[in-house]
Amino acid sequence: MNATIALGRRSLREAIRQPDALFMTMFIPIFFLVVNTGQAAEIFPSDTTGFLEGQGYGAFQLPITLLLAASFGMAALFLVEEIEGGYFDKLRAIPIPRYSIVLGRLVAEGAKGVVISVLIVLIALPFGITIASGPPGFVLLIALTALWGVVYAGFMQLIALKTRSAAATNSGGLIFFPLLFLTPNFVPRDMLTEPMEVAATINPVTYLMEAMRSLILDDLAWADIWPGFAVVAVLGVVMLVLNVRMIQAYD
Amino acid sequence: MNETEFPAVVAEGLVKHYTGREGAVEAVRGVDLEVSTGEVFGFLGPNGAGKSTTVRMLTTLLTITDGRAEVAGIDVAGDPDSARKRIGVALQEAGLDPRQTGRELLHLHGQLFGLSPAAAKERANELLALVELEEAADRVIKGYSGGMQRRLDLAAALVHEPDILFLDEPTTGLDPASRLTIWDELRRINGHGTTIFLTTQYLEEADQLCDRLAIIDDGLIVREGTPSRLKADLRDRLGTDEEPTLDDVFLDATGRTRARAAGEVQEVSV
Repeated sequence: MNATIALGRRSLREAIRQPDALFMTMFIPIFFLVVNTGQAAEIFPSDTTGFLEGQGYGAFQLPITLLLAASFGMAALFLVEEIEGGYFDKLRAIPIPRYSIVLGRLVAEGAKGVVISVLIVLIALPFGITIASGPPGFVLLIALTALWGVVYAGFMQLIALKTRSAAATNSGGLIFFPLLFLTPNFVPRDMLTEPMEVAATINPVTYLMEAMRSLILDDLAWADIWPGFAVVAVLGVVMLVLNVRMIQAYD
Repeated sequence: MNETEFPAVVAEGLVKHYTGREGAVEAVRGVDLEVSTGEVFGFLGPNGAGKSTTVRMLTTLLTITDGRAEVAGIDVAGDPDSARKRIGVALQEAGLDPRQTGRELLHLHGQLFGLSPAAAKERANELLALVELEEAADRVIKGYSGGMQRRLDLAAALVHEPDILFLDEPTTGLDPASRLTIWDELRRINGHGTTIFLTTQYLEEADQLCDRLAIIDDGLIVREGTPSRLKADLRDRLGTDEEPTLDDVFLDATGRTRARAAGEVQEVSV
């Protein structure tokens, strides 16, 4: 555990020393928030659009913004850079549990997810977006975002460990990225066309997004919230197990 | 260094097979080695001969297909964590985290080897002084020269005061002055009793530093002995009065000669 914490702290230092990467992590999702809200806010006025629960369309878009930001983590790219550069082997030659090398990065990714999501929500508040579920809902929203960041980073690390190539890791992320958009990210699920509704229904990210949206637009509606936590819990365990197995078998 | 009754490094019938893009590869085909405690042992061979693969097996970084290896009396495959506590490793091309400072990197390694934060800090300071990087200690590694990175890599391998130091081509790509600095460091480290297992492409380096050496070719050891013994054997075999160089020994052992090809001098099989 000490090794995981020490390596996690190192990864956080690494992130702090790459402020440009952190800036891009926040800039692109906020850009989409502004653009999507600007394009669709007239179509969905808050006073006549029931699913907005009295808020502006920006509140409806906030979950995809947070999920996008959490999916721009650099953990896997830094990991593959270390594999290519040889530092990964240096760490493997130290008598620490090998899983701590990947867990350290995931812990740091979770911490970064907390900071980034808090900042994005704070930026959104002056634009009339409120967290209807109050402070407990705010905490749950941040937790869901950060946990999704860990899941996504875990998936990317698997590609990094398998391919040991920065180029392959970069393009491998594109496999997972469409899942973020096969979701009810512009309108509620029941307003989607049938093929999209089917795709969204079988996509686990939908339940995460709906949980986050519920926390922003409603009181604490546990029936909508728990499926989101179930998704990150199940995917998180799967990614964790696969990451540990992959690094233990790394030769 | 404690005097021990077992050799620093033992390899018996060490074999490594793997499947590459071109199919099954036999990288190492039965290496037998014994390195005594306190020795500087040189491991030479042409590119692709199996030097790095052997080192990676001895340092627990690669699984062993067949045979067995011990470092400091510990079975490498059976108890890799105990083996890792006794060895320091600096592989080809200084593998360092470019975004940390030199001091942070050594401090982190100290903690990973189980030192308390205060002890890790103290050890980092000692090592920075040892490799003469005190002035650059708080700069990020990305800005270090090749020679500085190699010295820091060496320091990182020494954090836990290992019994055996494995160095895979520690001076490749360095300018002559940096190479001499590394040689001085290695002599100093060996002077404190640390066994050094060194692979190198530079025969002069092997001649200058190594008490004993082995030459590997095509996954098998083809010569082993002290540099002077290997040269004397070749002289006796050739029946000449002229003292052969280690270069001559190397070419003879690997069945190679040097020829100009594509505008460069290259080693080619004869």
